[in-house]
Amino acid sequence: MYVKKVAVIGAGTMGADIAYTVAMANIPVVLRDVDEKALERAKSHIQKLLDGRVAKGRLSGPDAAQRMSQIVFSADASALKDVSVAIEAVPEKMALKQKVFQELDRLLPPLAILATNTSALSVTEMASVTSRPTRVAGMHFFYPAHMMKLVEIIAGEQTDKDVLDTLSRLSEEIRKIPVAVKECPGFVVNRVLTASMAEVMRFKVEYGYSAEEIDQTIVKHKVAPLGPFVLADALGLDIAWDVAETLQAAYGDRFDPGPELPALVAAHHLGVKTGQGFYPYSRS
Amino acid sequence: MEAEREQELIDRFTLATFMEAARLYEEGVASAQAIDIAMRAGAGLPAGPLAWADQTGLDVVYQKLADLESRFGARFAPPASLSARVEHGQLGIKSGAGYFNY
Repeated sequence: MYVKKVAVIGAGTMGADIAYTVAMANIPVVLRDVDEKALERAKSHIQKLLDGRVAKGRLSGPDAAQRMSQIVFSADASALKDVSVAIEAVPEKMALKQKVFQELDRLLPPLAILATNTSALSVTEMASVTSRPTRVAGMHFFYPAHMMKLVEIIAGEQTDKDVLDTLSRLSEEIRKIPVAVKECPGFVVNRVLTASMAEVMRFKVEYGYSAEEIDQTIVKHKVAPLGPFVLADALGLDIAWDVAETLQAAYGDRFDPGPELPALVAAHHLGVKTGQGFYPYSRS
Repeated sequence: MEAEREQELIDRFTLATFMEAARLYEEGVASAQAIDIAMRAGAGLPAGPLAWADQTGLDVVYQKLADLESRFGARFAPPASLSARVEHGQLGIKSGAGYFNY
C-alpha cells in the first residue's frame, strides 16, 4: 500500500523522534498529542535535531526548514482524516492504548494501518477494540528512535500480510532495518537482552564483583558494545525491572535478575535519570 | 577477576544470549536471519547469536552448555535445534552448515 501520510500519536521523546525520522524521509507526518505543551516541547526537540544536522553540514538550512514543514503538530483530531499509517507512541498502559486505537479506528480511512510502538503489550489486545484487527500491527522502534536502525514489525493474531509488507517498506523508506517478528512478550531484542542481563546480574550477586569490573570484562572480550549494568542504568532501572518481571511471569526464572535490581528500584535509584543506579552519575 | 571466573562470566553471558535466541528460533517467533539482524541492529552485538554459535562450532557450544547445565540447571540445557544439528554433523562454519549454510 502507498503511504501518503503518516501520523504519530503521542508527542513524548519517542513520538517526536519517530516524527522527525519520517519527516527526514520527506513523508508528510502529523504529530498528534492532546497536550499542547507536549507538542511545543516536541517541536523544539525536533528543531534541535535539525539544527544539529545543519551544524554538522549534513543538511542545508533550506532543506531543514523543508523537513520541518512536513510535520503538522496538532492537538486536533481532524488532522488525522487522510492518514495512511498511524504509529501510536503513548505511555505503556493497555487501557490508554485501547482508547487511542478506538479513536484512530473511528477517524482514519477504512484501509489505513494502525501500528503500535509498544515494547511489551499485546498487539492482538489493541486490535481487538477496533473494527479492523487485520490492519493492526506492531512497529517497535528502539530508543533513541532517530539513531537506532532496527524496527521490529510485529504481527498480531489477525494481521494481514500486506500490512506487514507495507510497514516493512515504510521502515526502509525512513532508512531503518525492519525484521518480522511474531507476537510474544519481549519480542526478539528485549527478550534476548533481558535474558543475558539477568544471567549477569545473578553472577554479580553470586561472586560479589562490582558492576564496573563485570562491564569492563564483557566489553574487553568484545561480546557486547556496552556492559549490562551501563546499559540498564541508561535505559532506566525501573524499565529494566518492569521488563524483567513481565518476562519472568511469561517464561520463568531465567529472567529473575536477583535481589539487587528491585532493591535499587525500591530506593528510587533508577540509573542515569536519577543520578544513581548501579553506578553514580554526577548531575550538572 | 580471576581467569576462571572471567571465562565463566563470558560463557554465561554469551550462552544465555544464544539460548534465548535459539528458543525464539524454535518457537518460530522469527527466522534465524531476522533474529541475528535484530540483535546486531537493535542491540549492537558484534555478531548475531546464531551466527556466533556457527562460528564457535556447534559441538563446542553444545559442550559448554552441557557443562553449564550440570552446574546451573535446566536453563542451559542444550536446545533441540542444537542437539539435532550436532547429531547430524552440522557443526557450523567448519562443516559448511549450522543455523546457516556456508
